[in-house]
Amino acid sequence: MMRTSTFLLLGASALLAAMPALLSAGLLNAAVQMLIAALFASAYGLLAGRAGMLSFGHAAYFGVGAFATVHAMNALNGAGLLPTPLLPLVGAGAGLAFGVVAGWFATQRSGTAFAMITLAIAELLHALAPQLKSLFGGESGISAMRMPAWGLSFGSTTQVYYLTLAWVLASLALLHFHTRTPAGRLTLGLRENAHRLRFLGYDVHRLGVSAFAISGLFSGIAGALQVLANEAANYVVFDAHVSASVVLNSYIGGVGVFLGPALGAALMSFFGYAVSDATQAWLLYQGVLFVIVMMFMPEGLVGLGATARHRVRVLGPARALPLLAAGMLAVLLLAGGTVFLVELLQRLCSQDYRALAATAGAWPPVTMFGRSWAAASAATWAWPAGLLLTGGALMAFARTRLLAREAQR
Amino acid sequence: MSGTILGLHGLRKSFGETEIIRGVDLELAAGERRALIGPNGAGKSTLFHLISGHLAPSAGTIAFDGLDITGQAPQRINRLGLARSFQITNVFPGLTVFENIRLAVLRQQPRPTAFWQRVDRLPGLREATEQLLERVRLQARAAALAGELSYSEQRSLEIAMTLASDPRLILLDEPMAGMSAEETDYTLALIRELTVGRALLIVEHDMDVVFSLADRISVLVYGQVIATGTPDEIRQHQGVREAYLGEEANAQVPA
Repeated sequence: MMRTSTFLLLGASALLAAMPALLSAGLLNAAVQMLIAALFASAYGLLAGRAGMLSFGHAAYFGVGAFATVHAMNALNGAGLLPTPLLPLVGAGAGLAFGVVAGWFATQRSGTAFAMITLAIAELLHALAPQLKSLFGGESGISAMRMPAWGLSFGSTTQVYYLTLAWVLASLALLHFHTRTPAGRLTLGLRENAHRLRFLGYDVHRLGVSAFAISGLFSGIAGALQVLANEAANYVVFDAHVSASVVLNSYIGGVGVFLGPALGAALMSFFGYAVSDATQAWLLYQGVLFVIVMMFMPEGLVGLGATARHRVRVLGPARALPLLAAGMLAVLLLAGGTVFLVELLQRLCSQDYRALAATAGAWPPVTMFGRSWAAASAATWAWPAGLLLTGGALMAFARTRLLAREAQR
Repeated sequence: MSGTILGLHGLRKSFGETEIIRGVDLELAAGERRALIGPNGAGKSTLFHLISGHLAPSAGTIAFDGLDITGQAPQRINRLGLARSFQITNVFPGLTVFENIRLAVLRQQPRPTAFWQRVDRLPGLREATEQLLERVRLQARAAALAGELSYSEQRSLEIAMTLASDPRLILLDEPMAGMSAEETDYTLALIRELTVGRALLIVEHDMDVVFSLADRISVLVYGQVIATGTPDEIRQHQGVREAYLGEEANAQVPA
């Protein structure tokens, strides 16, 4: 088991290291964003998954790390003790410091009150930032230049990618190490039963602040990496949707497993990159996916893998795999039907189309998936209906058979 | 049995208008096993909450081993050597039994919240954890989740966690509540064995347990101690019989 996971880890690292040779510059940029999102989600996972504290304002620590770094870049010009590759240390320090202060207040309470305090802190920064021009650069933000250091120019995407990769892997290793330390074990106790921890002689507030601050530290590194990649920071990093994304990404991936949030974030930011040009409904898809994950697999996508493995082990591959494959096909059909429907409706409801329809006096055809569809024709609507019905029936079939086979045992 | 480990003087606690603890004086000798009995609503659990720092008293003082601990934070009181269990089982349900005890034992380490060393490399931690597991006979369940244990196993776990800090005074709040006769006998033997050399203050509704375990018994009725004495003295005490024992004999069901 240990050897399998080591093997997997080395394989994944090698694959990540080979990315610049495999990907175009545009995709490599997306990969940088995926890595950053993965680190941010892992930092969030420490707090939400392991410490059981649901923060709704984690953009604050990401953003503080980002702005601290952009100021350090401009002030030091890559000279002195902090050349470009070490700049994320500034983000780490800022994230940690702000995490201690905010965490000291927020962890006074737990549950809903905690979530509301974190939300308020992030909103406070978001409201304040445009007013403080010297600190946050107002609406236009602050830009900076990556300076050459250590014989590297940091001018190419490849070099930025490797810089990001090194920091993300090192941070993930440290975060994983934290799970093995006394502090990390106590973090779990905090989630399970803080009250009991207090009567075992622990200062629960201090433990909470430390978990919060460590999460802030790694969020700060993620923010710093984004500034290094973009050579700019803007107050929109404090936006509520940044806080929301990290929550959604982490839970879609699964906060119960160490790499769950990272995988969820990487996946979602990849989809965001790949799909956001093709559709205007990306946020809707993200929301729908989140709702489905929460309803049918609260353990997240990582939990889905574990469930599948468990089924295969219990029923045997010959009996389980065909049904799992059928289930997967059903998901694809359902997804296809949903996407078809959403895209069609989105086009039909758009202002342009309605204006067009009003002048034409009929429903003109719409362009979708590279071809033209007659909006009023039954053939067009039969597509999503057929996909959804077939998918639904297949899903119901696979599900009943799977449950029946399990019951037989 | 030398010296006083716990002294309550003129202790009072009100919730709004209602005074629950109405002037309690109580002295517990080091190494003594003391039972606290009384009808439902007498304030036994509240008294435990006051002693362990869960609640702050409205008036009066609490001295632990000569030190004034009135109104101190629970974690400070615990570190002085006073540990408690809870009436409702209070463990870490989503963690393994081993992890539950390890978190309790960890507190005794010189740097229990270290984030720079691995927990499985801490000297003596695993041994101490396994020793406690063995003492409460939960070795076979070490890898099970605490939330999946049977009720009496959870109580054993709770007692192990209470013992982890090697306390000089243990407060047990109804450790036998909801147990079968067999489980009660088992837990009674366990408590007797594990509290040797420590002072014990136990709240319990099972009178067989109380009279066989306790060196002395205090009777709490409506927030006041109306009698303290050996089991025999309490059995003979007229006021206690009227206020409590007769009534309890008809209603053995614990709260």
